[in-house]
Amino acid sequence: MTLREFRLPDLGEGLTESDIVAWRIAEGDAVELNQIIAEVETAKALVELPSPYAGVVAELHAREGETVNVGDPLVTFAVTAPAPSSTTEDDAPEPNLVGYGARPEHAGRPVRRARRVPAGVVPAAPVVRRDRAERPRSTPPVRHLARQLGIDLERVTGTGPDGLITRDDVAAVANRVTDSGPVTRIPIRGVRKHTAAAMVASAFTAPHVTVFHTIDVTAARELSARLTAETGAKIGLLAIVSRAVCLGLAAHPELNSRWEDGTQEIVQYGYVNLGIAAATDRGLVVPNVKDAGTLALPEMAAALAELTSEARAGKASPERLTGGTFTITNIGVFGVEAGTPILNPGEAGILALGAAQRRPWEFEGGIALREVMTLSLSFDHRVVDGEQGSRFLAELGARLERADEGELT
Amino acid sequence: MSVLTLGKALNRGLHRALADDPKVVVMGEDVGVLGGVYRITDGLQAEFGAHRVVDTPLAESAILGTAIGLAFRGYRPVCEIQFDGFVYPAFDQIVSQLARMHSRTRGAVTLPLTIRIPVGGGIGSAEHHSDSPEALFVHTPGLRVVTASTPQDAHTLLRQAIACDDPVIFFEPKRRYHVKGEVDEEAVELPMGSARVARAGDQVTLVTFGALVPTALDAATAAAEEGVSIEVIDLRSLSPIDYDTVAASVRRTGRLVVAHEAPFTAGLGAEIAATITERCFNFLEAAPVRVTGHDIVYPPARLEKHHVPDLDRILYGVDQVLGRVPAPSAAAERA
Amino acid sequence: MFVQLLAPDGARVPSAEFDPHVAHLGGDELLGLYRDMVVVRRLDAEATALQRQGELALWPPLLGQEAAQIGSARMLRPGDFVFSSYREHAVAYVRGVDLTDLVRVWRGTTASGWDPFSINMATPQVIIGAQALHATGYAMGIRNDGSDDVAVAYFGDGAMSEGDVSEAMVFAASFAVPVVFFCQNNHWAISEPVRVQSRVDLADRATGFGIPSMRVDGNDVLAVAAATAIALERARAGGGPTFIEAVTYRMGPHTTADDPTRYRDADELAQWQRRDPISRLGEHLRAAGVLDTSADERIAAESDAAAAELRAGCLAIADPPPLAVFDHVYAEPHATVDRQREDYARYLDGFAE
Repeated sequence: MTLREFRLPDLGEGLTESDIVAWRIAEGDAVELNQIIAEVETAKALVELPSPYAGVVAELHAREGETVNVGDPLVTFAVTAPAPSSTTEDDAPEPNLVGYGARPEHAGRPVRRARRVPAGVVPAAPVVRRDRAERPRSTPPVRHLARQLGIDLERVTGTGPDGLITRDDVAAVANRVTDSGPVTRIPIRGVRKHTAAAMVASAFTAPHVTVFHTIDVTAARELSARLTAETGAKIGLLAIVSRAVCLGLAAHPELNSRWEDGTQEIVQYGYVNLGIAAATDRGLVVPNVKDAGTLALPEMAAALAELTSEARAGKASPERLTGGTFTITNIGVFGVEAGTPILNPGEAGILALGAAQRRPWEFEGGIALREVMTLSLSFDHRVVDGEQGSRFLAELGARLERADEGELT
Repeated sequence: MSVLTLGKALNRGLHRALADDPKVVVMGEDVGVLGGVYRITDGLQAEFGAHRVVDTPLAESAILGTAIGLAFRGYRPVCEIQFDGFVYPAFDQIVSQLARMHSRTRGAVTLPLTIRIPVGGGIGSAEHHSDSPEALFVHTPGLRVVTASTPQDAHTLLRQAIACDDPVIFFEPKRRYHVKGEVDEEAVELPMGSARVARAGDQVTLVTFGALVPTALDAATAAAEEGVSIEVIDLRSLSPIDYDTVAASVRRTGRLVVAHEAPFTAGLGAEIAATITERCFNFLEAAPVRVTGHDIVYPPARLEKHHVPDLDRILYGVDQVLGRVPAPSAAAERA
Repeated sequence: MFVQLLAPDGARVPSAEFDPHVAHLGGDELLGLYRDMVVVRRLDAEATALQRQGELALWPPLLGQEAAQIGSARMLRPGDFVFSSYREHAVAYVRGVDLTDLVRVWRGTTASGWDPFSINMATPQVIIGAQALHATGYAMGIRNDGSDDVAVAYFGDGAMSEGDVSEAMVFAASFAVPVVFFCQNNHWAISEPVRVQSRVDLADRATGFGIPSMRVDGNDVLAVAAATAIALERARAGGGPTFIEAVTYRMGPHTTADDPTRYRDADELAQWQRRDPISRLGEHLRAAGVLDTSADERIAAESDAAAAELRAGCLAIADPPPLAVFDHVYAEPHATVDRQREDYARYLDGFAE
């Protein structure tokens, strides 16, 4: 005697349940194979169910009027003969070959079958910030590179079209040093962004050489004080230096030129647009005085004053900020002696003025406290030879030490 | 608001269409007296009469061809093709005539037919009862193709399809006819060409339609337990496809899986993968993955589970697009 | 025309025109036909029960059509070829199919229960009417070969509306090929009565194509045999196609998924039960003293044995292995299918249990 469970089959092309209309048997009854055991009603038809076994009805699993799902137990039979072994039983609780039709795909929570080799790690949580509708744009190979380098594309600024993140953008971030402590992040924008770009362009194209010359500017200072008192207008050391530079450039045109790769020409300017580096709230700007070579000392001083106040007020026009041919940068106002300034793109020379300090110096054969300043001249070594640059600087220094009013005004 | 099976929701949609427009005519094999082999047209002939709910002779080409003629006369036929595999005798009338008439007549003639076809497998049936022929129709200009996965969508989309002045092929997921859901007959409708985000997610966009939508939702539920967040999109409209919705999702997730029962080659998965790759190339973390039927004739009932994508196969595709297992593209490169 | 040689009550109806074609069927042969019909009815009932028990997905019963199928199929030669619908289980039985093969397709383990060339019978056709064209084409091949084999197309009244059947008759008539169109008018195409398909007798349609046509009592195995014999003879002699309308009745549902009480009334069924094909031949043979108690018992035992064999065979049909889905898509190797088979095998292999 074995117990065999008969479960409700799909009785017609996709049914999921049936109602028990009437039992034709009772528990304990003997039944023959194919004897009608029940009448059930489906969505499509009233159907008589024939017994799949010969034996005795052990248990009825539903009452008349009840709805039974396809696959649910209907009747348990105590079978006399060994029931035909269905070699077709599935893993899932699928009743005697039944499961034809639209049975539910899972009972309870949907769960996937376990895999032999577990799948790899789930990639990091979504990289899209809630306030953005899209993830960073990049091409698949660059994403791959970023993944390999462990770089989160959210932190990379794209310089490609429509903000596309390029390979270089990723590489740039990759070369960044990792922080070992708290940091403050300042977005790169505006003036700083443009200035930085210019510097990079300049620094990595022109071979820079810097020569230094420390000079006695006491006489120049005295000249400045005297001229200021006489004219009533401020004629500062910067103006004197600017005038001296213009005179020097006239004699050394190679310092007032540019290297032009595209045309394979060196362009020597026939005029001096003298740029003065100015620190403003928004960053470093270099407005220039147009045609400074034609300005006498008082006009130079006035032009410089106007330029400086304009720059400080943030009112320098684009025209003012472009077209320079030589630059002076006064780093002395910050208290340092010397530097290795970076050329303004399009120029071949830049002069940094250090702080004027009182130092023991050789004076008329003895030691005296004199006003001493170091001049730092960086030049584009493609255009300017060491000799030319050095001579220009030496002559400039000599002119300033002489501080000859007739020469300078 | 009531809870109806998808089949009953369709029945109610047909009822409303017949009641609202005297030009609507339902026609097909066994739709009248019997009420349809799936009872979708149950009770309609008794209510509206045999001239509006017509038991036709056994000839699919004629069902379509005469419906076209009826439409010329100003009627709005709703044809039933009894099973997917039986549509092919009608294919000529659909492709050569129905799809082209508006264009042929320079817009003078509209043929506002709706052709209802139960599709898909999983019902354990004989040959020709389990096909998914949507690609053939989507590839035919002049036809709109729509499908529903919920009773609500079935109801509203069918009414929209009938009201639409273009010919609409309306695919019904036959193995979901019994699924119950809320139906509001006065619900505000999504536009007919729109997709629906069935479940929001962050990491993978899973696009499917029809009978596979519940499977996809189950897959997303199971995946959530592994910490994978899947967004499920129910396309609803296959021609046109709502690429705006899909692309917006992929721009966030960067990963696309498309699932359909129809065979792999030249199925809708190929079309969607190509278009999303074009539109979202710079947002993709991985090549799109398609989880589909194989390039085989639909198999006998005992083997169909090895053909129709199930939860496990869909999640395997998700694993592939996440890079947790080798992607099809990677396997292809190695070969 | 309505050819009837055996009335519903079993009385023999003489016919000068048709009697000669069944004269060779003596008592033993008639008893054989009776036994065939009893056995196939029993097999049909067993298959229906198996479906109700969940062992078959679906079954389209032939209940009531035994005479039409047995009477015609028994007239065929082994070299003839049959193209049928999905309901001609009795024809397959006569062609010599293994009993279990009758149910393989309905079990859902295969698309075809037998190799068509093993019994010269094509896989039963699910698409209504398509087989008519195939039979016609096969007959075109027979004619080219100069053979006297015949192709037979079995289909129902519903199929007469499908374009394929009309087109088949056009070709058959035009090329005068050796094909027999055997239409079982069982009065119902699922829920649609035959009057929806036709306003005239189906046999009259064939005449319109220029094809000789006979309308017979499909529940009269003798009439069916006679008409079939005539048609086969004509075809073998180069006389071209014949159409036979066998008027019968689908006493069961369209398939086990159908409920006929929704669309036809019990009176009609009762009427046709009074014209049952098996009981009329039984009456005839009892009256003739051919069907006695021992014959009854013998036949009952044979039925039981056949049913048991069918049941055991059905239950023993195992599921095919998963990768079988990739078999036989093409006759020659196909790279895409091969690759998908590999991929799927690898996928299945990856499960833990």
